[in-house]
Amino acid sequence: MSLSSIARLTGAAALVGLSAMAAQAQTSGEPIKIGAIVSATGAGAGLGIPERNGLLLAEKDINAKGGVKGRPIKIIIEDDASNPDTALSKANDLIFGQKVVALLGPSLTASTVAVGGVTHPNKIPQIAFTGIGPAVERERKCVAHVLPPQRLNAQALLEYAKSIKATKVGVLHDAGYGNVVMAELRPLADKYGVKLVAVEKFEIGATDTTTQAAKVKAAQPEAVFIIATSATPFRNVKQIQIAQPVIAAIGSSSYEYVNAMGPAADNIAIPEFVVGEDPLPHQKAFVDLYKQTYNSTPKNYEAAAWDAAHIIATALTKAGADATGEKLCEAMKAPYTGVLANYNFSADDMTGIPISSFVFSKIVGGKYTRTPFRVAQ
Amino acid sequence: MTLSLVLQAIFAGVTNGIVYAFVGMGLSAIFKGSRVINAMQGEFAVIGAMTTVLLLTKSGWPYPAAIAGGVLAGALVGAFIEVAFVRYMAKKNASEDSFLLLTIGLALTLSASILFFIGRDGHLLPPIGGEGVLLVLDAVIQFHALWLIAIGIGATLLLRAFCHRTTVGLSMMAASIDADGAATTGINVGRMRTYTFILGGLLGALGGILVTPLISVDYTLGLNLTLKGFAAAVLGGLTNPLGAAVGGITLGLVESLAIIGISSSYKDVVAFSVLIIIMILMPNGILGRAGRRGG
Amino acid sequence: MQSRLLWIAVALVIWAALPFFVPRNIADLLVFTGIYTIAGLGIGLLLGHCGIVNLAQATFYGLGAYASAYCTVMMGLPSIVGFVAGAAISMALAYVIGRPILRLTGYFLALGTLALSAIASALFFEWDWLTGGTLGIGGIPKLNLFGFVLDRPSRYYFFVWIVAFACMAAAHNLVDSRSGLMLRAMRDSSTAAAALSVDLQSLRTRVFVVCALFGSLAGSLFAHHASFVSTQSFGVDRSISFLLIPVIGGATSIPGIVVGALFVTFLPEFLSKLGDIHQILFGLALVAVVVLLPDGLMGAFGRLRTRLAARQGNHAR
Repeated sequence: MSLSSIARLTGAAALVGLSAMAAQAQTSGEPIKIGAIVSATGAGAGLGIPERNGLLLAEKDINAKGGVKGRPIKIIIEDDASNPDTALSKANDLIFGQKVVALLGPSLTASTVAVGGVTHPNKIPQIAFTGIGPAVERERKCVAHVLPPQRLNAQALLEYAKSIKATKVGVLHDAGYGNVVMAELRPLADKYGVKLVAVEKFEIGATDTTTQAAKVKAAQPEAVFIIATSATPFRNVKQIQIAQPVIAAIGSSSYEYVNAMGPAADNIAIPEFVVGEDPLPHQKAFVDLYKQTYNSTPKNYEAAAWDAAHIIATALTKAGADATGEKLCEAMKAPYTGVLANYNFSADDMTGIPISSFVFSKIVGGKYTRTPFRVAQ
Repeated sequence: MTLSLVLQAIFAGVTNGIVYAFVGMGLSAIFKGSRVINAMQGEFAVIGAMTTVLLLTKSGWPYPAAIAGGVLAGALVGAFIEVAFVRYMAKKNASEDSFLLLTIGLALTLSASILFFIGRDGHLLPPIGGEGVLLVLDAVIQFHALWLIAIGIGATLLLRAFCHRTTVGLSMMAASIDADGAATTGINVGRMRTYTFILGGLLGALGGILVTPLISVDYTLGLNLTLKGFAAAVLGGLTNPLGAAVGGITLGLVESLAIIGISSSYKDVVAFSVLIIIMILMPNGILGRAGRRGG
Repeated sequence: MQSRLLWIAVALVIWAALPFFVPRNIADLLVFTGIYTIAGLGIGLLLGHCGIVNLAQATFYGLGAYASAYCTVMMGLPSIVGFVAGAAISMALAYVIGRPILRLTGYFLALGTLALSAIASALFFEWDWLTGGTLGIGGIPKLNLFGFVLDRPSRYYFFVWIVAFACMAAAHNLVDSRSGLMLRAMRDSSTAAAALSVDLQSLRTRVFVVCALFGSLAGSLFAHHASFVSTQSFGVDRSISFLLIPVIGGATSIPGIVVGALFVTFLPEFLSKLGDIHQILFGLALVAVVVLLPDGLMGAFGRLRTRLAARQGNHAR
């Protein structure tokens, strides 16, 4: 870790960073219990498994650096099997049975909102691995989010379109995540002077979207947005020989999808946060540690979970190792420079990620490569 | 709506239809031979494709050998399921519903096992005939899809010949139509049912392998394929593998024409509504009475 | 007779005391057990007494949940309106769709209901002005009974289970009535029943409507418990897991539905302690029940009891 990167870190994050250079710190006393819910099985496993890896790594890292004021932390990780009902029961167990001081996760929006129904009235700080969801989440001032709101994802797509001077854009999106981003994209497009010439939808888990892609092609766009959590539309777009630039929303940014896209992945641009092959200076320590531990390259979800764990540890350090409830919540609300992004949980959207935190990558030969393009604040 | 768009929709519809047809044919072959609705037919496809992927990439087998290995894996799993579960349940005169539930349970188990043991990644196989495409009036169809269609038609005809021309095929048909009668003529009804499952597993696995160059295969794919395959089989009258092939292509075409004719948002709504209407209006499937008599 | 009353009294005491002694997450699971029991009862009636495999229950469950969510959150109406609206819409839909679909038989009918579930699930996604789409509708208020807020599982437990018992009583009456007799006649031999001039269609439709009512009630109860509804809870996979309830427990027995609901709520919870392998184990457990206990857990229990009784009889002699 270079000195200049240390200078970029703020507050307690710097303390954690500095102590990495010191010898292994000792922790003692009763561990502070933090609960976590991820989707390690079921349809959301593509999110939950990387998130769990990030959490386990963060727990090791925090404890190796002296824990919270000398006390170790323990992250109790539960699997909601991608089912919001299960997430609710697990949250009840973690909060009332295991008496955790805070809850990290879950991985999916539905589970997050369901769990928020328990954490919010009981004043348990929660850091979700999702972007902010329905209106009710704006009232939950103690449920922070470490991934951007969908409005910001929509904005990032448009910023990139603007940078390549595409004004006529076609969109292929799925009926779930894609629909939500699309709802934000429509009003924003006008502001960016982008005309949406074709918007085509497909169901989640669709095995073919060729016809939708053909409709997009027929509208002769200058660029195509694909907002999905599947490799299928990317393959179909290349199969019917759409030559225009393809820009993917962050949802499909992981190696599972890139591998499943095969040669069709080449040249796809993705607004995202962590390019493990070429991390930003402040991401390097995390990326190196991750590679060392898991022998694979981390991406956004690993970093989001890592950040969440560190945010709670930082808040505990600030508010005192015995702090709970609202006190802990208040401590969490300071600006925080994470690996994924710069957060500010006192913001309206409970995340405060600025658009300048995005990096833009391109897939070259099946590997992510970071492009120099960034959006100024 | 331009001509090339319609043509593209037809290409996509036929390609998808062949995929549904493969799953549907396996389903109806098993139903015909054992009166079991196999809710894990899509899982056969995943097993076949995953095995081929692993043999090709991890064990470095040549592609044709890996395909043979994948098909064999499907056939073996089919045989195992019949011997380990179906045979026992049939002896106890289990109801139709419990066979359905058995295969639902197996589908859940297999899908979870693939996630647990192999992982969450999607995989692809190289296309037969290369990455090339055929261009007709600006509409694109891949060489691989053409191969898929050709092999699909070939498999349908072979299956038909097998059922009507070979002793084993005829015995299987006899055992399924009248088990007691077949037993009196010396046909081993239990063994015929095992063959039926081997055939179903084989067809399912082959279908799965053939679609993997088009659709990446992962642990969640099975249920989707089963639903569409089931629909294809029922459209075709359920007892007729040939009908399932026709049913699959009908379904594929309805879906893709719904996208250009109505809206991509309502594709599933249209496809499933058509399915319900066809079932009510044509209770014997779209091949009508011919379908009832068998493929 | 007296011993039976005693058993019922003991069961009631245990039932009433349970939420006070179990941890909150278990109380939460017991609430879900009650909700699933109600949804499963309808499927059990169709399966056990009409021989109909209903794979559309998540549709009615979803209608009830969305009706409650929309009426309370979007329109600010009292909760009871949501319950009634959900029930009315579900029953009307079941009636209109039931008449044509129930003309199908066997697997065709199963696929018909499956297709219905797929259509409904697509529409739940599509009509996001009504359902909130993927994001769903949050902030559904907890039920309030004359000023007593049912805001935690141990309180809601009593409400849900009283509704569940009422539904069981209604189902029991239906099964015991003349219609119930006709239903079974119809299941065992539809030609014979038709010969006795039983109006098959209208009878089957009526049971389908009752099933939809139960599904909708369960959905409304779910919405007020989770305080959040989204498309994720009402897909085809949920319809399949609802079907498991009567099959595992035993479709013809009303206590069997409770056993089935306990199985699908508690088994995954216990298995999840074993790590990521839990979904494989759940699948295997399901296979084991289907293969080894063809008439469900309740049927197996019944057989065990007869066998024990017979053995005791032998001893007495």
